[in-house]
Amino acid sequence: MTTPGPDPVATPEPDEGSARAAVPVPDVPSAPQAPTAPADDAATSGDPVVKDSTTESTTTVPPELEWRRLHPVTPLVRGWAVLAVLLFVVGRQTLESAPGGDVSFATDHWGVVVLAILGVGLLGGVWAWLSWRMMRYAYDRDAVYVHSGILFRQQRKVRLDRLQAIDIVKPLLARFFGLAELKLSVAGGGDSGARLGFLRDADANQLRNVLLARAAGVESDGPDDAPVEEAPESAVLDVPVGRLVGSVLLTGGTIVLVVAVVAAAVVAVVTRQVAPLFTALPLVFGLGAYVFSRFSGGFGFTGAISPDGIRLRHGLLETRSQTIPPGRVQAIRIQQGLLWRSAGWWRVEVNVAGYAATSEGEQAGAVLLPVGSRDDALRALWLVLPDLGVEDPRPLLDAAMTGSGDEQGFVTSPRSARWLDPLAWRRNGYAVTGRALVVRRGRLVRTLEVVPHERTQSLGLNQGPLQRRLGLTSFVLHSTPGPISPSVVHLADVEASRLLAEQAARARAARTTAGPERWMQAPG
Amino acid sequence: MVRMTDPTGPEGASPFDPHGIEWQRVSGRLATARYVLLGIFLGVPLVALVVLAVVLPQAGPWLWLSAAVVALLVAWSAVVISRQVRAIGYAERDDDLLIRKGVLFRSLVVVPYGRMQFVDVTAGPLARRLDISSVQLHTASPGTDATIDGLAPGDAARLRDRLASRGEARLAGL
Repeated sequence: MTTPGPDPVATPEPDEGSARAAVPVPDVPSAPQAPTAPADDAATSGDPVVKDSTTESTTTVPPELEWRRLHPVTPLVRGWAVLAVLLFVVGRQTLESAPGGDVSFATDHWGVVVLAILGVGLLGGVWAWLSWRMMRYAYDRDAVYVHSGILFRQQRKVRLDRLQAIDIVKPLLARFFGLAELKLSVAGGGDSGARLGFLRDADANQLRNVLLARAAGVESDGPDDAPVEEAPESAVLDVPVGRLVGSVLLTGGTIVLVVAVVAAAVVAVVTRQVAPLFTALPLVFGLGAYVFSRFSGGFGFTGAISPDGIRLRHGLLETRSQTIPPGRVQAIRIQQGLLWRSAGWWRVEVNVAGYAATSEGEQAGAVLLPVGSRDDALRALWLVLPDLGVEDPRPLLDAAMTGSGDEQGFVTSPRSARWLDPLAWRRNGYAVTGRALVVRRGRLVRTLEVVPHERTQSLGLNQGPLQRRLGLTSFVLHSTPGPISPSVVHLADVEASRLLAEQAARARAARTTAGPERWMQAPG
Repeated sequence: MVRMTDPTGPEGASPFDPHGIEWQRVSGRLATARYVLLGIFLGVPLVALVVLAVVLPQAGPWLWLSAAVVALLVAWSAVVISRQVRAIGYAERDDDLLIRKGVLFRSLVVVPYGRMQFVDVTAGPLARRLDISSVQLHTASPGTDATIDGLAPGDAARLRDRLASRGEARLAGL
């Protein structure tokens, strides 16, 4: 049995110290080890900022690495937004000042404005070009190394056995150039992991395959830079456009949007003024952006299974192709709002340790299925947990999705809970399988949450004064950051106590038998 | 341990006081620290309000009324603080650490040593003055609220080291 590796999250805690006792931890590599490239970093900047990446606080970089640069178009693709904003601001200033009486401004100062734009653009361009020059990456069998920064240097090492997910992102402009960005997610707070962008499409794909193969622990006997075949995949899920449009129309956001627009229009017509329309604009823009992101994020969604884990592809303007290796999903939620009930649609989201920390937030990575039938949702669950640990999962899951009461081994709130939750007290509850804890909740918004036993972080009980009087206690399971925070509300005191004790034991047992971090390595 | 009114289940134990757990108490100086904070944040405004009410009688009953409200808050907090501090307890078991707290809103958290990512020991100026410090356990989940306030600094350091070594022995991936 392979011992489970040391913990992945940022920590200068014991494991590093003991395992790498020979290496002086926080400093720049010592002279004999220092590769030529970082040596000049140290020489020029004097005090390179060594970012404590989520994985290791050491910058010992093997000397034989082959350093690469990103694609030269990168600064342009990255900088276009800045340029566009600049042009927009200046343009608006100029236009607005024109009818305001000071007409001469627009014509007299035209040259100054153009010069300013050119100057700022030039500065930005030089900066972007410099930062492109300074950005280098390399990889070996165990890690990806990224060096970057102009004034503040950063050397980062991302350990491949700590990889939580790997995404290829293509923003709209990058797609015109045939470029893609590779995002490596690791479990760490804030800005962890690495973004390699932009690379040519083919290079990005190739790099992803290589990194996945190495992260998986696949032994290759060829030379290091031999091309690696993409792991075969079979499609499991897809979302037709019609269904996606329907699902987006049937969300609270869309309905509020329509109501807002209609109300503003009615008020405008009645009062014969345009002011109400402008008042509603911010709301309309905000909601519109949300609704559109739901649509564009889910556009062309496909989900597939491969030996490297779950593959998701989606996106209208910015396309994203995600790979979540096996065992990286910390929790899964299947949910159906009231509006979706008649259509029988469900939405599936997951907690993946690396995703929630990214700036794009939860929309970006954590959706396993934007909308799908009950069968689709169950297939999505199967992608994550092929073996739920029960002989016949279907009746259990049916009970979890729409059932209530104690059928299929569910433990629900006692009768006294009807005072606190008159609607859903018969439905709120949990069931335990050999592999996971299944939590069911909600009468109007039906929610089902599944947490594999070995992914349990910590457990808790809570009780307020009313609950105490009624003999009720709520159980909480702490998962990694993400859209899902599982809890079983209003259990009988005895049941909550028992669940806490038993779940702690189950989680402990499951951890010792959990699969290896490098998922293709045979355990043993 | 002070037993609160116990809604005893059939087994005769509240879920927040499981059988066979020896709870470790925290220092009573934590109550002192909280009383000091109470004095600063509610006591000073209370005094100010009373002074204002005396100095400005023409302001009517409103100043007295708000002073009364603040006084009520102070009295309530004063009663609750010592009970709260007495309700804090922790227990080191073989595989996990248990922390319980709260009087009105009670909570119990179980943190497996193998899930611990790092341990913080902190002490602010007031806490240093009173010779107490806090130990906080962090897991990969932001939901884990595992803070033990009011430990003697020596105890805190020993607890931290013990937790770190136990965590090392039981390390697991995410």
